[in-house]
This record gives sequence, structure tokens and C-alpha cells, in this order.
Amino acid sequence: MVQVMKHEIRRAAVLGAGVMGAQIAAHLVNAGVPTLLFELPGREAGDGSGPARRAIEGLAKLDPAPLALPSLAEHVQPANYDEHLGRLSDCDLVIEAISERLDWKHQLYERIVPHLAADAILASNTSGLSIADLASGLPAERQSRFCGLHFFNPPRYMHLVELIPGPATSARLMDDLESFLVTGLGKGVVRAKDTPNFIGNRIGVFSILAAFHHTQALGLGFDEVDALTGVRIGRPKSATYRTADVVGLDTLVHVIGTMERALTEDPWHAMFPVPAWLGRLVEEGALGQKSGRGIYRKAGRDIQVLDPDSMDYRPADRVIAPEVDAILKDRDAARRLSALRGSEHPQARFLWNVTRDTLHYCACHLESIADNARDLDLAIRWGFGWQEGPFELWQSVGWQQMARWIVEDIRAGSTLASAPLPDWALDTTRTGVHGNEGSWSPLGRLQRPRSALPVYRRQPFPDRVVGEDRTFGTTVFESDAVRLWTTGDDIGVLSFKSKMHAIGEDVLDGVAEAVDEAERSLAGLVLWQTEAPFSVGANLSGPSAPKSGRPPPTALGSMVKRLRREAESAILKAARRLNVADALMAGRLEKIESVVSQFQATSQLLRYCRIPTVAAVDGMALGGGCEFVMHCDRAVATLESYIGLVEVGVGLVPAGGGCKELVMRTAADARDGDLFPFLRGYFQAAATAEVGRSAHHARRLGYLRASDPIVMNRSELLHVAKAELTALAERGYRPPLPARSIRVAGRSALATLKAHLVNLCAGEFISDHDYQVASRLAHVMCGGIVEENSTVDEAWLLALERTAFMELLATEKTQARIEHTLRTGKPLRN
Amino acid sequence: MEKQIQDAYIVAAVRTPVGKAPRGMFRAVRPDDMLAHVLTEALARVPSVDREAIDDVVVGCAIPEAEQGMNVARIGLLLAGLPRSVSGMTVNRFCSSGLQAVAIAADRIRLGEADVMIGAGTESMSMIPMGGHKIAMNEAIFRSDENIGIAYGMGVTAEKVAAKWHVEREAQDAFAVESHRRAIAATEAGEFRDEIAPYRVRTMVPDLETGEVRTIERLVSDDEGPRPGTSMDVLAKLRPVFAAKGSVTAGNSSQTSDGAGAVVLASEAAIKRFGLTPLARFVGYAVAGVPPEIMGIGPIEAIPKVLRQTGRSLADLDWIELNEAFAAQSLAVIRELDIDPSRVNPQGGAIALGHPLGATGAIRVSTLVHGMRRRRQHLGMVTMCVGTGMGAAGVFEVL
Repeated sequence: MVQVMKHEIRRAAVLGAGVMGAQIAAHLVNAGVPTLLFELPGREAGDGSGPARRAIEGLAKLDPAPLALPSLAEHVQPANYDEHLGRLSDCDLVIEAISERLDWKHQLYERIVPHLAADAILASNTSGLSIADLASGLPAERQSRFCGLHFFNPPRYMHLVELIPGPATSARLMDDLESFLVTGLGKGVVRAKDTPNFIGNRIGVFSILAAFHHTQALGLGFDEVDALTGVRIGRPKSATYRTADVVGLDTLVHVIGTMERALTEDPWHAMFPVPAWLGRLVEEGALGQKSGRGIYRKAGRDIQVLDPDSMDYRPADRVIAPEVDAILKDRDAARRLSALRGSEHPQARFLWNVTRDTLHYCACHLESIADNARDLDLAIRWGFGWQEGPFELWQSVGWQQMARWIVEDIRAGSTLASAPLPDWALDTTRTGVHGNEGSWSPLGRLQRPRSALPVYRRQPFPDRVVGEDRTFGTTVFESDAVRLWTTGDDIGVLSFKSKMHAIGEDVLDGVAEAVDEAERSLAGLVLWQTEAPFSVGANLSGPSAPKSGRPPPTALGSMVKRLRREAESAILKAARRLNVADALMAGRLEKIESVVSQFQATSQLLRYCRIPTVAAVDGMALGGGCEFVMHCDRAVATLESYIGLVEVGVGLVPAGGGCKELVMRTAADARDGDLFPFLRGYFQAAATAEVGRSAHHARRLGYLRASDPIVMNRSELLHVAKAELTALAERGYRPPLPARSIRVAGRSALATLKAHLVNLCAGEFISDHDYQVASRLAHVMCGGIVEENSTVDEAWLLALERTAFMELLATEKTQARIEHTLRTGKPLRN
Repeated sequence: MEKQIQDAYIVAAVRTPVGKAPRGMFRAVRPDDMLAHVLTEALARVPSVDREAIDDVVVGCAIPEAEQGMNVARIGLLLAGLPRSVSGMTVNRFCSSGLQAVAIAADRIRLGEADVMIGAGTESMSMIPMGGHKIAMNEAIFRSDENIGIAYGMGVTAEKVAAKWHVEREAQDAFAVESHRRAIAATEAGEFRDEIAPYRVRTMVPDLETGEVRTIERLVSDDEGPRPGTSMDVLAKLRPVFAAKGSVTAGNSSQTSDGAGAVVLASEAAIKRFGLTPLARFVGYAVAGVPPEIMGIGPIEAIPKVLRQTGRSLADLDWIELNEAFAAQSLAVIRELDIDPSRVNPQGGAIALGHPLGATGAIRVSTLVHGMRRRRQHLGMVTMCVGTGMGAAGVFEVL
């Protein structure tokens, strides 16, 4: 069962401390790999590694954060080529990420090769140069241990890594490196052929170029196209043009330039010159987000967009036309595409044209750039944040129908190139490219099964493509709110079915029933969701709304852009889920109190039931979700877990056992010593509704324990959670003894916390009601107005939670906050 | 009020340079070591004094716990090598502790019960944070609004003073700029040389390369706080710390600091017996309470009180060391009492020189005494506001 990595990467080096190099180094230390970051020597005396050191310092300023915790920066060691090449001999992996110049790279290889350990892996993070050309600069015996390793920006958050062998690269090296990238760095690996821009950028950038062309041809505005090509069609919110701004227009021009220079035989070559308006923006230094202006710019509070004809900006206010929007709302892909194709509306024609041309391009080039259709689709999903890959869309529409439409358009001369579809695409018996047996490989002329590399045995449910079985194990029982299932072993997996996996009464009932069933017939229970988030928290309004039938979002690119905003608006999301307003208005306070009691009882059940429980966390675990995480015997969290108690944001206190847990953790941390220094940190996190920005940060905040493992790859989460559960069960699990004497900080600590709040209130940093809310939280977390070091039990603390929750819920201002947040999605400061 | 039977005279007054806390030059220097240093150095200036004749050592300390706990006065004097027969006590009146210690020492002599006394102060804000390692409030203060001021941090009280006395941000910043200007000018002119006893800082750090403990030695003789280049522009960029729409910033507040000071006092009999030269005469001292929420105005009550007590007027004072807890409260005091600003802190104040809480009083007595002697001035005062709402003021006469 255990898949051990054969080639261990003990230390790594990254050559080149540019934005990519430094961020790759940061992600290596996120993964626990000590890393040297090399840059040219600086001119300052006694500080030859100044440039590398400054790049490491600069990591702290990047957003989203490349490091899971700022303090990890100390594990990236600055180095320079003059003084430290000798240190390369300790490194098992050396990633070159310097400027995209073949001659410079060759010169660098010449310098470093004598210092490399014999079995070290040398890889280039090039995005445009040929791996074969790069390999030619290495001695023959080195070429077998060299390959391309293409990260996407930002490397911590973008799931895709392309792995490109050179002509002499050893197959063993490719397997070793892939295993490390998957388990060690948590990446989604796609093997690409050594063609310009590989797979992700080749297809992704073509799609952008096609959009550029049709935007102009149909006279659409850039903002209009972004409205059309964003979340509405399952792409990142930044859509087409804003993505270009985020990536950097100079970078985009560079990648397009590679296509123009290197793909002279490409039938679409006429598309590859850089559009005049784009060239002009770059000349003007308007490079997008990083230079404050690009295709978009900010004018005060307004966003303006470039008009390519006048090269001036106008307000960005164009939206999707209602008739086109109506088409896009159709879930049926065939009907949707048919309607777009049949419409005369320029917006509809745009979407049809770009979709058709992208699919046309993918079909014609699949054989030369990738082994199979799955690799292409996953590269686009993982590297560009599309919810479904191009071939997945094609297959959803109906292979024959889509192929006919493309052929008709080729004949009509409306496609961007006249190249015919390849014969395999025209095969009249074809129903798709993906299936359970594998995905179409044009070169092999077979359905290529998923990789047999042992590392993938750790992924019971990898990101699956259309046509593959998308079910999860065998159902033990299922309600409207939850599903308990197994994969044929004796470990129960409990998944919530509610939207955003919010926890309502029905979910609470489901958890209790699952625990009951597991105690009867299973070795233990893993709480795992079929897609992120883990849970956005409590929903006290009634039956949970079942989630839509859409496939789970791959969340990659879109997640990156949303990440920061999401963390910041976590409170809002929690509030929305915490749909208590209706019940309030209807005077159902009593009912709510009983649900709160039920919530607490469920948390306690997870802690004290007779079987081990493991929470497997990916994405957000907020409020009640966080409380479940805290009550399971173990939590296993992916690096990208965002955990926190956010109730204070809507004027409430955590009341599902979260405060109680923090009090117990305080007492455990303090051992026999003073409670207050430990209490202060926990209080501050809960009182400010702080959400951890990574699993490491959640550990720092106290929501994860030191014993809760962190996994890098979300697809391995269930595997590791089950392993943890097995370990708990194998030792002859017994629930913990109930906590009968919990030491609390008492009334002096409460007064001290309140004194701090009084100052914030006097300084008008917080409102009177903020003071009320935080004071109640302090009251609970200090164990009430009792003497310092009094001992209480869990029931005492849970009663304090309930009382504080209900008291706050009864205040007009908390009600106004909840109501306002539900109505507007914004927080209310009152 | 004149109940004393004899006068008390200052015969020696020294201090350490003042370091910035918590990351300054004294960050690893213990407050009891700093105290021992100033006791040793003060006595070194009066070598003829029989150490056995020292009746008591009174040491001010605002947060007497941890490294400065356990009666730091007694520990410091033993570390300084004073005879075991010499006793010591630690006194706490928050920011006026050092001045209070000098006053208690003087009073023992004035009552005729002692002939040689030491008044001192020591504080490490690097090691012991403001409020101490464990702040533990009494929840009774929240039961009524009357005592809520006890909970207020000093910064909030400064904002309240700024609002009530209409001290604008610009005036506060200008005051801070002037404090730095004066402090730098005084330092460059060597004005502090008489009072400062340079300190040899020894720091022991692990050298991970060699696996050995490395000792770093450095002799420090200047205050660390004054910042050249402090200008209105620089200060204007700082954001208010204590109130969202406030005016009190890190730049127009006193600095947190480390330091110690000691003053040797003697009766006329002792002066004759040991052949000493008196530097100044202790004239009088008073404290007064004010509302805690506007603690910064304490001197407005304490100054008139001590002047009444000593039969002097404001106009008699040549030099006033007014502790600059905040520019806001300093300006409120100056404006309210109509004090001539040129006589206030001529060598800069706590905004530039730092404010090691319980040590400040003893330190500023040294500054006052030596400064007035150089300038041949006659009558001076050390005064400060005190947390939870008090003011203290002491009057000294240079002979």
C-alpha cells in the first residue's frame, strides 16, 4: 500500500531568483525541501548573495503569498554563482529558471555541471525553448539526467507542472521526478512533447489569440469579451483580457513571439503576429497589473478598459446580452452550442467562433504536442483554470455533431485555418476521446489508460475527465444531506451533499446516523468532501440545498485569483450560509437554541464516539466546519486549507464547541503554567475572525494540532486520511477520557481582555457592538466570571457558548448584521 | 509646611546612556546590572564617603517583576559590592518612581534619620514589557463607567488630552521635531558628558559556525534615541496608533527605553564629615491625582502644588524637565500653565531621549543638576505625568 519515493529529493537548488525562480524555491520549502536560491553575485562588499537575498525578502510582498508561512523564508538560502557553486553537490534536484536565452542557459550549464552530484536531476523551467536544444549544451553523460520542468505562475497555487523529456532523458528519471512532483510538491503532472510552448501555453495562448481575432472581427469590447469568457462559461473570473493583464502583457508577447518564431509550419501561423494594440501597450510600458495599467486601468474607483481603435480608455461596463445569457444558462452542451452557432448576435457568434477554432486547433495538434487527449484537457484545466478541457466540451456536445459543425465551417471558409480535421476526429463511429479504459492517443491509435506509476495509487479519486466514471465508492447509506460510503474496505467516508458543504440540521442528523452506522459496522469514519471546500460552516435555516449537478470545479486558475478575496470574504460566505435571519424574524429563537445544542452534541459525538474520526480538509473549513475539524481525533489537511472560526464577523461567537476546544487547547499548551499568554493568541484569532492562509498558518493559529498531518496533493488527501484512520484503529482505538477538569483563566483574564477591547473601542477602531461581541467571546473563553485556575468541565463551557450565542442573537445589532450580510453580501459595521 | 530639621543635598548624580527598547543597545542588559553600574559610578564620584555610612538605597522601578523583581534595589546594591549592612528598597509610582525614590531618600535625611542616602531608578522595557508579563485587570473596573479609565492605555489617554486641550497633530509633530533637534544639539555639544557613566555592554551569543559562545563587547556612552533627520514630513507620514482618527503617533510619543540613574544625597553633617561638594539642594516634592483617562495632565496639578509647598513661583524656575510622555500632554501642560517653552527640556525630552519608565525620574535629576550647574542656573524642576492619573514634581536648587 505504501508508495515510497525511490529517488528522494533531500535538498534542491533553484538557479535564477526572478519572480518564477524565487517562487519555485518558496514552494519547495513549503514542501519541506531545504533550497538554495542562486542569483548573479551582487556588487556589495561582503554580501555577494545580496540579489538572491533580496529576492527571498521580496517573497513576503507577493500576493498571493508564495510561502505557506513567512518564517519558512529562512529555509531558502541565498547563494551566488561566484562563491557557492560547490554547494550544488548536496542537491538532488537543480531547477534552472534564468532568462529565456539559449546562450545564457548553455553558459550557465557549463559552469554548474562540474559541481553537480552524479545522480542529481537538472531541469529547466523554460517555457519556450526546446529541451533538445538545451540538452545539447550538456555533456553527453549529463543529458540522461536533464529534462524540462515547466511550472505555471504562481507556482504554489497553479496545479499544473509540465514535464518534458529531452532526447536522451532516462525514463527512470522522469518517473522519479513525476512521483516527487505529485506527492512532494502536490502538483498535477502532465508529460508534454518537446514542442514550442508545450501543451498548456500552446493551447491556452492560441485560445487567447483566437479571442483577440474574433473580438476585433465582430467589433466587441474587451470588457464584453471578458464578461462572456469568464465564470459564465466555467473559466476564471479574469476571463481573457484581464488574465493577460495579470500574467503581464510582456510575458504574453514573449510567449506569442515563440509561437510566431518557432511554429512557421503551423496552419494557424498567420494568427501569431502580436496585435498592433498589444505591441503598443507593451512599448508604452503598460504591462498590465504589475505596472498599474494595461488592457485595463483603474481611474479612481472605476475600472476602465482600452479601446483598441482610439488607444484610449473608456469605462468598463459592457455586459452579456440577455438573449446570449439565456443561451449560456442551458446546461445541455449540445443545445447550448447549437444555439450559439445559430444566433446572429455578435456575442453568441464570438463564443461559437472561439470555441470552434480552439477545438479545431486542439484536434489538429493533439498528436504532435501530447500523448493523449486527457493530458491536453488536464493541462488546460490545471494550467488555465478552465472547468472543463476542450475535448471534454467536444465530447459533452456529442462528438459527431461537433465534428460536423467544424467540418461545415471549414468548408464555408469561416474557420481561422483551412486545415482538415485529422482522420481520427472524423471517424464516424467515434463518440468521444475519453472513457473508463483511457483517453485517445493519436500516435498510439489507442485509448491510453491512466499512468501506472505507483504514485498514482495514492489517488483513489484523481481529477477525472468527462467520460470517466465519476462515482465515489459504494453507498452505505444516503440522505438528502450526506452520503456514507466505502471503497470496499471497512473505512467509512462521510461526504456532505449540501451547497458549499454547509452544515444544517439535516447534515447534523446525517453525521449522527453515520457515526451510529460506523460504530456498528466500520473501523472508523473519515469526513471527506468530493470537492473543496471542506465546509463553510453552519446553516441554521433548514434543509440544506443540494448542490448543483455540475462537475466539481478544478478550481485551479480561478482559485488563484479568488484566493485572497475569498479569504477576506470568508466571513461573508459564512454569514450567507449561516442563514439565520428568517428564523430570527419568525421568532424562532427557541428552535435555534435547540439546533445549537444539536451542533454541540454532534461535535462531541465526533470526539467521543467509539470509533476513530478523521477530518480530511481541503479548501475552506470555516465556523462550524472548523469546529468539526477541531473535534475529530485527527485532521489531515492539504496545504491549501483555509481554516478559521469566523462567527464574530456576523456578530456571533462560535457555539459548536469551538470556543470550548480553544479553552482546552489553552490549558494543554500552558501545562501547569500561566494560561493567559496562550489564551491571548487563540482569543485574538477568533475575535478577529482570522482565517489561516495555509494549513501551516492554521496550525500556527491553533485550529490544527501539531499531530495533524499536512499533505501537499489534494488528490492524495483521502489516501492519507484513511492511513491515519487505519493507524488509529490498529492501535485498538478508544475514545479520549472526557475532560473533567479544564483549567480556565477566569475573571482577571476576562478583565484584561476587556481592557484591551476598551482601548480599541475608545480609539474607535471597533464599534460598541464589536466590543459587546468580543466581550462575550472573552467571557466564554475565560470560563466566565470565576477565579483564575478554576476547573470546569466541557458541559460548563458549552453552556457558556450557547448562552453567549443566544444573547448576541437576541441583540438588534447582531440581527441587523446577519440580515444585512444575507441581503447585500457585505459586512455591516454597527 | 517646613517641618524638616535639616537639608538634603545631592553630592553625586549619574546615569547610563538610554537605550532603545526592545531592540536597542541594552536589549540584553539586565536592569539589576544597570542599577549596580550606576550605584558604583555614583559612589566613585564621592570616594571619600564611607560605604558603611549609607543608610538606605531607594530605587524606583515601574514594573518591578522578573529581571527587576525580587526587590531589585537590594539585589543591585549587593551586585555593586556595597556592604551587606546597606539596605535597599524598591518603590513604584509608575513613571515617577525614580523621582519618588530621590524624594524618599531626601526625606529620610530631612527628617534627621539618615545622613547618606541613595535615590535611584532602573528599568528595562526590553525585558519587561509595559504592564508587565502578566496584565491581570480587576473586572470590578467594568462595573461602572467611573473607573473605566483604569483600563485605558496611555496612548488613549493622550488622545483624550489632545482632544480636550485641542492639541493638533501638527503642533505635536512640531514639538517632537524640536525635541529631537535639541537632543541632537546637546549630544553633539557634549552636554550629557557629565552625567553619563558609559556602559560596557557584553553580549554572549552562540556562534553556530564554530560551536562556541562568542562575547561581543561594546562601550556605549550616548543616548540611542535621538534621530537625525526627524522632520515634519517624516512624522506626518506616521499613522495614529491609538485612535482611528487620532493624532498621537509613534513619532510624537515618548520612546520605550532601557536605562538607570542614581543620585547620592547627604546631610550637611555628612558633607562636612566626608569633605563633599554639594551639587544641589533638594527643595521639595509633590504628587497629585487627576482622572485616569486624562492622566497626561498630571503636572497641571502637581506643579502648582509643589510651588505652593516650597513657596516658589513658576517664574523662579530656570529649567523644567517635563517628561515628554506624549507631545499632546506636554503641550497641554505647557499651554495650561503658561510655561515658557524655552525653559522646558532645553536638551530635548523623552520623545527623543527615551523614557525608561521608573528610571526616568532619577535620570532627569542628573540631567537637571549637571545642566543647571554648567549654565550657572539656580532653580529647576523635574516633573511628569503618571499612569492611572497622577502628576509628580520635584524642585531642586543648584548651589
